[in-house]
Amino acid sequence: MNGLYHISSGPHTRGRLNTSRIMLDVAISMTPAAIVGIWTFGIRAFWIILAAVVSAVLTEYIFCLVTRRPNSTRDGSAVVTGLMLALLLSPTVPLYIPIMGSIFAILVVKCFFGGLGKNFMNPALAGRCFLLISFGSAMTNYKHVDAVSSATPLEDLMAGRTVNLTDMFLGRTSGVIGCSILALLIGALYLLVIEAIQWEIPAATLAVFVLFIAIFDKHGFDPMYLLAHMIGGGIVMGAFFMATDPVTSPATKQGQIIYGALIGLLAGIFRVFGSSADSVSYAIIIANLVTPLIDQYVVPKPYGFRTGAQMGEDGAPRITPGLFRPALNLTIITLVAGLGLAVVYNMTKDTIDEQKRQAKLMSYKAVLPEAEVLEADEKLDAAIENLGGAVFGSDYGKVRIREAVAGKDADGNVIGHVVSVTSSDGFDGDITLSLGVGTDGSITAIEFTELNETAGMGMRCAEPAFKDQFAGVAVEEFVLNKAGGSTQDNEIDSVSGASISSGAVVNAVNAGLAFLRENVM
Amino acid sequence: MARRTFRGGVHPVGHKELAKDAPFEVFLPKQQMAYPLGQHIGRPAAPVVKKGDRVLAGQLIAEASAFVSANIVSACSGTVKGIEKYRSIGGSAVDAVIIENDGLYETAEGIGEKVDPATLTNEQILEKIKAAGIIGMGGAGFPTHVKLAPKKPDDIKYVIANGAECEPYITCDDRLMQEKPDEIMDGLELLLRLFPNAKGVVVIEDNKPLAIAAMTKAAEGRERIRIQVCPVKYPQGGERSCISVVAGIEYKISQLPADVGCVVDNVGTIYAIYKAVCESTPLMERGVTITGDAVTRPCNLITRIGADCGELLEYAGGFKGGILPAKMLAGGPMMGIAFDSLSVPLQKNNNALTFLGVDEVAEAQKIQTNCIRCGRCSHVCPMGLSPQLMSLAYQARDFERYEKKLYGLECISCGSCTFICPARRPLTQEFKVAKAEIMAAKRAAQAAQQAKEAK
Repeated sequence: MNGLYHISSGPHTRGRLNTSRIMLDVAISMTPAAIVGIWTFGIRAFWIILAAVVSAVLTEYIFCLVTRRPNSTRDGSAVVTGLMLALLLSPTVPLYIPIMGSIFAILVVKCFFGGLGKNFMNPALAGRCFLLISFGSAMTNYKHVDAVSSATPLEDLMAGRTVNLTDMFLGRTSGVIGCSILALLIGALYLLVIEAIQWEIPAATLAVFVLFIAIFDKHGFDPMYLLAHMIGGGIVMGAFFMATDPVTSPATKQGQIIYGALIGLLAGIFRVFGSSADSVSYAIIIANLVTPLIDQYVVPKPYGFRTGAQMGEDGAPRITPGLFRPALNLTIITLVAGLGLAVVYNMTKDTIDEQKRQAKLMSYKAVLPEAEVLEADEKLDAAIENLGGAVFGSDYGKVRIREAVAGKDADGNVIGHVVSVTSSDGFDGDITLSLGVGTDGSITAIEFTELNETAGMGMRCAEPAFKDQFAGVAVEEFVLNKAGGSTQDNEIDSVSGASISSGAVVNAVNAGLAFLRENVM
Repeated sequence: MARRTFRGGVHPVGHKELAKDAPFEVFLPKQQMAYPLGQHIGRPAAPVVKKGDRVLAGQLIAEASAFVSANIVSACSGTVKGIEKYRSIGGSAVDAVIIENDGLYETAEGIGEKVDPATLTNEQILEKIKAAGIIGMGGAGFPTHVKLAPKKPDDIKYVIANGAECEPYITCDDRLMQEKPDEIMDGLELLLRLFPNAKGVVVIEDNKPLAIAAMTKAAEGRERIRIQVCPVKYPQGGERSCISVVAGIEYKISQLPADVGCVVDNVGTIYAIYKAVCESTPLMERGVTITGDAVTRPCNLITRIGADCGELLEYAGGFKGGILPAKMLAGGPMMGIAFDSLSVPLQKNNNALTFLGVDEVAEAQKIQTNCIRCGRCSHVCPMGLSPQLMSLAYQARDFERYEKKLYGLECISCGSCTFICPARRPLTQEFKVAKAEIMAAKRAAQAAQQAKEAK
């Protein structure tokens, strides 16, 4: 008839949802966390968010301009990347950090690999990891003006200190801009309700992560401890916002469960055994790299090929709804594994505790060999309770008193005390030592129960040449002699090349002595 | 009763309100009629008339040329103008019998004679269905007599009357169930005679309360028949979706419904069976919905097969405001075929002509982006496939992976993935090409094999 009619292959109608709308939804879901971040950390957080978003969009726009591609910024994905990156930054970072991060994320990770949908890892996360490697100290400085404690909850947690779960939940702690778990969960719920993300990845990630921490971290199935790990260190943000990035996660439900479990496992390994606080970021980008492999091999059986799909009994429903079955399987596996572990843990708990107690007593006894029995002392316990895990004194750096017991001879007379002290000022983590002190105030011996310093340097603190300097000396306070060749009783020669470790030890000993002076003598 | 549904599926806007309240109008076309010989699945029919012959309404003009083929009868009286290439609704010129309609609608002998089916044997019923040239009238066009002759009729557990009508815009099955419920039920009882161990189930979506009421009333006292109401979801009317919800059975594309104990027929087909067996009327007319936002008077017609589509549109008042539509579809917007000429004949399997003022495909192309791998296509695929992976395999021309690893031949081209895709990617279209290429390669390999054996 004429050429006015359009000819095309069906279907000839389309749904309402489009790419820009999806990106808008993701941006909306991150808004509560951004608002809480600005509320908590002040206007600085706002400038960081703005810088990240604007530079992300500009980078993509300029790339399109230079390479003569159609302007793709209108799909909104650059806004999402910028916003997500900003939420992953400390509010203290200088403004060049979000700008550099956004440029790397958009240009290198996204545009160079073909733009939207073609990036091989989550751009925001890749940007964060790029910044962590390139600007390590600026990135991990979480100190800010109003903070009560300069350590992030995760740092406290990993150092064995108590954390305030409520503050963490509400985001009133040091950390990245988007660290309010409540705000993040509200956003995640929004995404789940509008079905922008599916439950498989977050569920698998969180389940495996918690199981891993429960099994391999020292605390076992302590619900509060596990909860603290869950809401600290970005696993919530990672599981709901970054692991679920569709571009870099597998296409199929089965693949997504494998991928989520992999993230949980890697994050658990990095958290428990690694030294970096960024277990989740690295876990996700490594899992991102495995996604193409999962998609290559994990393809679900379609209609007609599923087991039990054929030859149903007369009218009996033989098809379990697609979403229900994996959910059920995962829940059952998690429950069974959790139950089994709980049973084993309970069966062995008493034995393990007894062994731990014995080991501790042995180390205490080593520093106070004349004692026949070591007993708790109410006064000392009360004093430690009063400290509540806070830093002891003001002159010893980050030193905490962990435990103190009284040593008695066979007749029950007190012959000295043992104090367990931890210093967090070591070159590489905490140093914990047991300090034996006689009733006359002289030190009987010191022993390390936790020492992870540099081999051949800080680790040499454990050698007799260093630690025996304390033995038999009765002074109020020791002084570190960095040069060596001490002449005075109260001088301690530093381990060569390890003055930080040595100083931490001296501080710990001084703190222990001061503690005993306050409470015993 | 709990409403069972199938996995996946989408919810396109129905637009049924345009025509659903318009009762059937009988329209007898005046213009010339044309009958493409290959308007069913299978071998084209062989003409039994020649140029210049006078034919009567209901007279056989082309007969089935193979087991999978179907008779064609003239729906009007007139003179055979020729057997030549004629433009079909599919767009290509195909062999067709062209009849100059004299407008008298003089019927052949015996047409319309009432027959008491109780006096007929099962073989006679099947013979009548075959002679009437009945094919699947929901759109696929598979010869019905083939479907009704499975190897083991006793193994058939369900005869499903498909009144789901999930395709947007179309309302002719809805109207048919409201206006001819007893005839459809009688037709279904005929089928149940052929399959002694089967139950009859009428599948209707719950957006057709009047049809449900009428059919429920007509089913009273018929012990082997029940009505199954399903939630509105596309593609409920697909053969496999129907079997899923009724029998809870899934089967492969290489299997037939009969292999899993089911026979599915559109309610329009069952009505045609009733007419053929009980009223000695071969397939001459059918219900067709003329609809869309570009039509002056959307309506449901009972009209003659072979009618000129332009004449049907004219009866419906032509284009609204005289403005040409952006798109014309045989069928609905999900699985319908776009056509570009009104001078094409209505075929047995055309349930609707839809005229759309806006071409959403052209709009979609403007905002197409790269795939963002959101996975919505997999969620809605009623066949449980992974369209985004299939699309990648198609783009890489990796048909091996497409077929073997991704089960790409199981795709039923329902269009759900394309409908839902936020990146507006033409997924279904890619799969149609992929399937066609794979099937062509298979046929070529088979032919080569045969040639080798012949040597």
